[in-house]
Amino acid sequence: MMQKRTWSRLGLALTVLVTGLLPACGGGGGGKRADKAVDLEQLDPTGQNLVFWYQHTRQREEALKEMIARFNADNEYGITVGGEYAGNYGAIYNKMFVALQGGALPDLVVAYQNQALEYWGAGGLADMQAYMTSPRWGLTTAERSDFVAAFMRQDQLASGVQTGMPPNRSIEVLYYNQDWLQELGAAGPPQTWDVFAQLCRAARDQPFSGNENKTRSVGFILDADASRLASMVFSRGGQLMNAEGTRYLLDTPEVSASLALMKTLTKEGAVELMGEADGDQSAFAVGQCLFTLASTSGLSYVQDAVVSGSGFDWHVAPPPRTVADPVVNFYGASISMGRTTPERQLAAWLFLKWFTEPSQQALWVEASNYFPARKSTKDALAGYFAANPRYRQAYDLLEYGKAEPAVAGYEGVRRMIAQTVVRVIQGGEISANLERLQREANATMESD
Amino acid sequence: MAWALMSPALLILGLFGIFPIGYAFYVSLHRWRIKKESIVGFRHYTKAIGDPVWLLTLVIGFGLLLLARPLRSRGNDVVHRLGSLGLLLVGTVAGIVGFVGMSQTGDPRLYNAFKVTLFYAVGTIPFEVVGAMLLAYLLFRILTARGFFRILYFLPYITPMIATAVVFRTIFSPNPGSLANRFWGMFGVADQRWLHESRTIPALVLQGLGAGGYPDWIDTAFPSLALVCIVLYNIWVYIGYDTVILLAGLSAIPPHYFEAAAIDGASQWQQFRHVTLPLISPALFFISLVAVIGTFKAFNHIYIMRTPGAQDSVDVVSVLIFDQIYQYHSAGYASALALILFAAILMLTVVQNRILGRRVFYGD
Amino acid sequence: MPHPSRRRAQLSQALTYAGLATAGLAAAFPFAWMVLSSFMTRGETLRRVFIPETVQWENYVVAWSEEDFGLYFENSLWIAFLVVGGTLLFSLMTAYPLARMDFRGREPVFIVILATLMVPETVTMVPNFLTVTWLHQVSPIPWLNNWPALTIPFMASAFSIFLLRQFMRGIPLELFEAARIDGAGHLRFLFQIVLPLCRAPLLTVGMFTFIGSWNALGWPLLVTSTPAWRPIAVALQKFVSEAGSEVHLQMSGAVIATIPVLILYGLVQKEFTEGISMSGLKG
Repeated sequence: MMQKRTWSRLGLALTVLVTGLLPACGGGGGGKRADKAVDLEQLDPTGQNLVFWYQHTRQREEALKEMIARFNADNEYGITVGGEYAGNYGAIYNKMFVALQGGALPDLVVAYQNQALEYWGAGGLADMQAYMTSPRWGLTTAERSDFVAAFMRQDQLASGVQTGMPPNRSIEVLYYNQDWLQELGAAGPPQTWDVFAQLCRAARDQPFSGNENKTRSVGFILDADASRLASMVFSRGGQLMNAEGTRYLLDTPEVSASLALMKTLTKEGAVELMGEADGDQSAFAVGQCLFTLASTSGLSYVQDAVVSGSGFDWHVAPPPRTVADPVVNFYGASISMGRTTPERQLAAWLFLKWFTEPSQQALWVEASNYFPARKSTKDALAGYFAANPRYRQAYDLLEYGKAEPAVAGYEGVRRMIAQTVVRVIQGGEISANLERLQREANATMESD
Repeated sequence: MAWALMSPALLILGLFGIFPIGYAFYVSLHRWRIKKESIVGFRHYTKAIGDPVWLLTLVIGFGLLLLARPLRSRGNDVVHRLGSLGLLLVGTVAGIVGFVGMSQTGDPRLYNAFKVTLFYAVGTIPFEVVGAMLLAYLLFRILTARGFFRILYFLPYITPMIATAVVFRTIFSPNPGSLANRFWGMFGVADQRWLHESRTIPALVLQGLGAGGYPDWIDTAFPSLALVCIVLYNIWVYIGYDTVILLAGLSAIPPHYFEAAAIDGASQWQQFRHVTLPLISPALFFISLVAVIGTFKAFNHIYIMRTPGAQDSVDVVSVLIFDQIYQYHSAGYASALALILFAAILMLTVVQNRILGRRVFYGD
Repeated sequence: MPHPSRRRAQLSQALTYAGLATAGLAAAFPFAWMVLSSFMTRGETLRRVFIPETVQWENYVVAWSEEDFGLYFENSLWIAFLVVGGTLLFSLMTAYPLARMDFRGREPVFIVILATLMVPETVTMVPNFLTVTWLHQVSPIPWLNNWPALTIPFMASAFSIFLLRQFMRGIPLELFEAARIDGAGHLRFLFQIVLPLCRAPLLTVGMFTFIGSWNALGWPLLVTSTPAWRPIAVALQKFVSEAGSEVHLQMSGAVIATIPVLILYGLVQKEFTEGISMSGLKG
């Protein structure tokens, strides 16, 4: 009996405590927010101290820090940017999450499109549109058209709001073992999926001369990942989402055909489902697998692996296709501007504008292996191209880029896609599985 | 005096342990993607666990079951007996109906997650505790190279997860050359997909024996092969933790107890059963309570082993909560799920505290 | 000619050691892999060889000189030191009343303390950050980017309190009665008798607290923005990036990070010896 009383009292005390504390926390923080009525042209960004949250480490971080230091020393407004490693993408999301509840928002933050969308929805980001088009601070028409349009569009909402700016992108390409292709009698990388399939079968039957373990020899190792599937679907002229961004299109003939091919080839032993992290690239490096489909951000990784592996000649090409022109899947995080004060936002914009100028872009891509967002960067990259022929091969594909959906629940849908790919490859019926995928994916569009 | 001594810890725990629970409750009552939006009341809870009518049915069922005993003890005549039997029957039926109703109207992912969590806990705890007991006993008793062995068995717990996860993923990889496949290959077992396998062991055995098909319930009533691999990984990691605590427990036993038992001519087993076990029961009680709490909200070592091939068969409740926040940006729903998990663990702990707590021997 | 029962004992000894050694292999394998990988070239880690061709000592040099690694290491030591100290003191002070004092609400308080373990960190992160931000504003010393946010929230842990309570309840009641007759109050009893008796459990609690603090990553990233107070786990994460992991460096960093824990455990496990804790008290 006594225990019961203690319990109920404790509960009461807890309730009082919680209800007393909540309002205090909910309303706190935030600081002065940008006012829409402020006249951008009259603002003075002088002397602002900015915070920039990024995920880069090692060589990329070093290069970025150097560039930031140069900006801080040279810019005419005395703006100081403080770059801070904020952990990986997940950790940055955490930091933004708590900052939005009542902490201090950063002036600049690296964000994927679906994350930026959340930040924007919660009132945490500034719309860059006004800054981009400002006569005094913005980009000229020529400069704006110098950006790869598809990259820029990725950060645009249907309402015209610009939630971020692309400092760089990566694209998904077909890595192929040139020496092995020659042994198989092929002149070059496969242009169509039919040729791809034939070469995979040939690779299964005739292992690469440099392969030390001839019991394992396949044409392709399939990583069950939404981006791989997106590449395949794009190359058949398909889409993962409708143009309005309101509905997934995951039960289309293009998705179905992509999966059917992979399923057949797996059954025949010409394609293998990936079983270990980076298993495709390590098998590629030792000559056990003829092709892999992977991001260009792994170029140096594969380079290291091949040199220490079978040491063959390898290159990259656009994925095989059924449409006339090549199509490549591109992705990458952008930089968004936190909603702070008008002056700080302007200062942040000036940094971003500087950071995406071709001369800075050139430095950045050389250090990072990323691809630039501005086309004219090419002129400054001649030396880098000469030293990195494979980067050069991929560079020409930038204009064929197509993006995956940028909607809020896409991260979850990516997992559904990966699960479906495995189910189908392991014998699941294609149309039933795609129907289910389509239903479940679209259900995420209306969840709360 | 007691409160004064406890106040620093209680203050910290109140601020950083209890307040977050209240805050999570507050969040769970709102539509709250990344930031607070409209208030939705208990909608997240009904979405998760189902129609409250069924929950009420379940609770009433439990109530009836609890009433059955007192009624029976009131008298031994036919009326009381039949009445208590009736209560038991009605209570059970109501409980089952309520539970089925909840799982039909609630979030199927949550019910799947609870099932997976239960498999995970039941698969982990007994082996972990018994294994640790055995290890601790041996490590306490041996005389040669004692320090060496003690360090050896603690390595799994202190080796960083980035290293252990890579090794376990390689061991349980579907590649024909993986350790797991080569080991079982010696017994004639065909190559398996291990961490990438969503089917259950009985189903795989049936398939391996050449059975054309098997009833659906076999795939729902057992843990998947992927989950079994993860359970093994987790036992491997945490056995060292439990062992250390039991070692500390063993070292607190006054040696004269053993001496007395030895003089009485007790065998090794009798010594263990009647001296060691009771005296170490406080530490065992700690381990089992912490193991239940730990396995029910386990996250890191499961998440890092998740593969698309395993489908949803390894998604425990805490993984589901994580996905709600990071993949679907729905903190409100995630908080509701977290509180449901909290309630489940709390109930389990209270029951465990009542049942096991009585059996612990504190020497007085 | 040895006695048959002695031979049997020898055989069982041998079997015990054989069993321990075999299981020990399984226990040590990933650790061995980590150490071996830490001496490889990047290519070797990508090719998944097991033993490096030539030992790459310079991995350790690179890992250690990777910007601020030494500073992070030192930070981690300070943080762990504070957390362990605070936890030991506060847990001792809380476990004692729960184990040995009679007061109203003892059981409910115990359950409430345990309840703090039952909510996933994913949902406690936000409120705890808000609390720390609030404390940052109202307290005389800054909390964010400083040691308080990294240490104070961890100075009370239900695990430690619970574990110590279990051990304290095992201390014979007669000891307390005897102390009472000698005129000792609770405080003196706690510090003069209970404390030395609980050496092994206290060291255990201290070690586990150390390990927990040493490995923490998510929270430190949340409450720090500069290297000044960042722990070693942050430095380790820097070897993983989009450009592909540098497993060899990651592993040399991991080995460096594991060494203090190993040393600590080596010292602590020596305490796990029959009778030490009670010797001198009986009879």
